[in-house]
Amino acid sequence: MELNEIKSLWNEMSEKIEAQEVLTNSLIMEMTQQRYKNTFSSLKFYETIGGIICLIAGFALLFNLDRLDTWYLLTSGIICVVYLIGLPLITLNSIWRMSKLNILNKNLKQTLTDFYKRKRQMLLIQQLGIAFNFLLVIVSLPVIVKISNGKDLFLEPAQMYWYVPGMFLFLAVASRAGYRCYKRIAASAQKTLEELEG
Amino acid sequence: MQNHLDFTAVIKANEGIIYKIVSMYCDTREDKKDLYQEIVYQLYKSFDSFRGDSKVSTWMYRIALNTSITHINKKKRSGTQIPFEIERFTETTEADQSALENLKLLHDLIAQLSAIDKGIVLLFLEDKSYAQIAQITGFSESNIGTRMARIKTKLKNKHLNNL
Repeated sequence: MELNEIKSLWNEMSEKIEAQEVLTNSLIMEMTQQRYKNTFSSLKFYETIGGIICLIAGFALLFNLDRLDTWYLLTSGIICVVYLIGLPLITLNSIWRMSKLNILNKNLKQTLTDFYKRKRQMLLIQQLGIAFNFLLVIVSLPVIVKISNGKDLFLEPAQMYWYVPGMFLFLAVASRAGYRCYKRIAASAQKTLEELEG
Repeated sequence: MQNHLDFTAVIKANEGIIYKIVSMYCDTREDKKDLYQEIVYQLYKSFDSFRGDSKVSTWMYRIALNTSITHINKKKRSGTQIPFEIERFTETTEADQSALENLKLLHDLIAQLSAIDKGIVLLFLEDKSYAQIAQITGFSESNIGTRMARIKTKLKNKHLNNL
């Protein structure tokens, strides 16, 4: 079918559509008010809750760092604090930047370029998060055990023998699925950015 | 209050534009309703800053296309919906049935285009000149010409494959 034929079909359909009035004044205002409420209620709820939990845990750990009495426990504690406070802040910031994308004063090309650049940035941060999870698995348990009951797991590593491989296996399975999903989304974002240049 | 009245008048006068864009970008009735409401909301947000430098329809196309492309990527509906009838055609009359078939045919043909090409082809079908399409999308006029030539070939091949 030629584009001219499509155009004549389109014009025919347009005439019918434009002859109909479906919306009323009150319906239009209801839509805007409801959507305004939704903007606040549909903020990334789980990401925000997860981020807040991490921040609370990070600060709780920060105030207990003095109980980590060896250099390796202290280093592990600092890594946990940086992870628990830093990563949620970076992640929440990238999500916030995505949701604050200004589409009102830009044309289609600018909007899409901004959208996909921010999306790629967000995916990169999430991928970094996956990688850091493996490090956290190793360092978090000795820190928690030391703070909660004073034991140094690096000196009595028996509990680590089942915990570390178990958690690694769990993380590897979860990360593989997550990574493949991120890779697919990132590839689609990249393709659109390339198309914008073309 | 006057502002609300102006806004509703503009939306009512151009609601066909929103419907056509929504039909181009969404498949299901629920997705169409969700995107429709989002577009109305985004138009409302930008209504105060619209100073009439361009035509109302140009402003609407720009906001609606930007909203559609960013919204469909979220793949998640935004909470509570206002109940309203989205479909313009029913299958009860012959004229509506034929319009519905044409709409489906157009949708099938255009469905495989990228989000950007869909926007460009929609503006072309709406009788916009290359200069107007360039103004709304931000691409140069010559780039629009090149893209349109590619789109024409794609649609022709797709139609031949469907035969």
